[in-house]
Amino acid sequence: MKNRPLWLNLVLLVVLAVMPLLLSSYGLKLGSEVLIMAIFVMSLGLIIGFAGLVSLGHAAFFGAGAYTVTLIGDHLNNTYVLLLAAILVSGILAFISGLLFIRSSGAYFLMITLAFGQMLYAIAYKMEDITGGVDGKPVLATFDLGFGAIDSRLTFYYVTAVAFAASYFLLRVFISSPLGKSVRGIKENESRMTALGYNTRNYKLVVYTLSGMMAGFAGGLYSYFNEYISPDLLNWMFSGQALIMVIVGGVGTLLGPAIGAGFFVILQNYISSYTERWPIIMGLIFVAIVLYGRGGIIHIVSLIWNLLFRRKNRDQNMQHKEGTGIDSSKSGTSV
Amino acid sequence: MTLLKVEHLSKSFKALNVLKDVSLEVREGERHVVIGPNGAGKTTLFNCITGTLPINQGTVTVNNTQISGLPAYTAVGVGMSRTFQKNNLFGSLTVEENLHLAINACKPYRFNFFKPINKFTDVLEETEHLLKEWNLWDRRDRVVNELSYGEQRLLEVLLALASKPKILLLDEPTSGMSPAETIQTTKLIQSMPRSITLLVIEHDMEVVFSIADRITVLHHGEVFLSGAPEEIKGDERVKEIYFGGGTLKHA
Ligand SMILES: Nc1ncnc2c1ncn2[C@@H]1O[C@H](COP(=O)(O)OP(=O)(O)O)[C@@H](O)[C@H]1O
Ligand SMILES: [Mg+2]
Repeated sequence: MKNRPLWLNLVLLVVLAVMPLLLSSYGLKLGSEVLIMAIFVMSLGLIIGFAGLVSLGHAAFFGAGAYTVTLIGDHLNNTYVLLLAAILVSGILAFISGLLFIRSSGAYFLMITLAFGQMLYAIAYKMEDITGGVDGKPVLATFDLGFGAIDSRLTFYYVTAVAFAASYFLLRVFISSPLGKSVRGIKENESRMTALGYNTRNYKLVVYTLSGMMAGFAGGLYSYFNEYISPDLLNWMFSGQALIMVIVGGVGTLLGPAIGAGFFVILQNYISSYTERWPIIMGLIFVAIVLYGRGGIIHIVSLIWNLLFRRKNRDQNMQHKEGTGIDSSKSGTSV
Repeated sequence: MTLLKVEHLSKSFKALNVLKDVSLEVREGERHVVIGPNGAGKTTLFNCITGTLPINQGTVTVNNTQISGLPAYTAVGVGMSRTFQKNNLFGSLTVEENLHLAINACKPYRFNFFKPINKFTDVLEETEHLLKEWNLWDRRDRVVNELSYGEQRLLEVLLALASKPKILLLDEPTSGMSPAETIQTTKLIQSMPRSITLLVIEHDMEVVFSIADRITVLHHGEVFLSGAPEEIKGDERVKEIYFGGGTLKHA
């Protein structure tokens, strides 16, 4: 906590900024997709890793954001309003569903969020007149921040990069704030938090709502990115994939889930051109990481980093998980 | 003045009646110790007083506010906090972080989400003050799981103290401690200001008689006897039930 690695944040910003120099036009598009997915998966990582709420219905909020931009966008082409509406609608959905579900925990929470997501999926699927049903719907709204429509891939890349950076720093501040620390405490030991005077349900509800809003923001961006949406965005398969990205990337960290998102989006992009068996491959990687990777990709990266640069006091560093955004509580000092 | 009043409290787990019509009064500033054999219902009594467990019958009043039936988190709001018989800490957080959470619970800014918690100077000051007073300051950066058992036991009390309670419920604060740690802890309890009322469950008779103003004996979920330490010490029936015919260590 004390020598909080500003360098990590700086490196992140620099990487985001110089990426376009290295990427082809197609690479820029992929980069935007990675960053949008990273925002979404990061929002799921927040409730799983910091609040202990394992959801299998988080796509509901992503999809809600995407549908909000698309459906309202048919009538009103204002990017600020549409993105705000996406955040608001998904936030309200998260708040209401959280109010109902948050008292259940563990497997029950998983099942009930799954059911909620499937319910929204069914609605989008059935209400053909409005949503286009199973065929989905093209996105008519154009991305325009007031300086003319943004249609170059480079500019849109920078838009998503800024969106990602903003989301990341918001969460970074959040997890060290009184509210964020309290949520972490609830995950760690809810009964003690209650004894200390915390109304734990309120705290969980707040973080769940915040997470839903961020997922909705990502969904809204995705509408602009993909220019086409379908009910699949609400489906539990998508929620499950995001869950796998969180776990493979690294539970209990902020950047881990983002890295997990990048890893899978890029991998899928190259592998799906060779094989149709993408879900199986994703599953196998998942199993391998769970069995051998312990803290996920970010954990492996941090191990290598520590071996290379911080041999002296790596044990110390491993403890300061919040500082580095790297959680190694489970395997702690056993390098 | 009576600070804590328990009236006709009953609690059962399914068919098992663990507490039967328990009434108890703790006066302001008092050091009130609850003794009784294992399984007498002492911990359950604490759970019922604080709202950790729902009660079947009776009322609990703190400082003229009735809190029975209210959720457990409200206890701190009326000035009551408790410790646990079995350490109940944030094991993978540091000592300092544990205290930050305990102190933050009662702050108006506990829902703040845009400023780091360690930028709130009052949290830092209170943390430092408590840790120094309880000789844990040099342990502040340690992860709680790495502390010795005795240190964890102290932290257990410290977390409950952080909310500046009017009444503090300690469930066997010295259990499992070495003799030296027990002496140290007893001293710390004795040195607590009288502005903090204490209700303590304790097994070690030496500790009991060195802190108690008043003792309540719980037996099979009923208040068997309540009185001054001398009365309890001299009571033959208490020796009989509590020590199975043995003698009081300290008597
Ligand atoms: N949550 C519970 N569910 C069922 N029985 C319990 C529970 N808690 C305590 N008991 C029972 O209540 C009785 C009193 O337990 P307890 O209050 O822990 O006693 P003490 O603290 O005096 O040793 C014991 O018989 C115990 O088994
Ligand atoms: Mg007990």
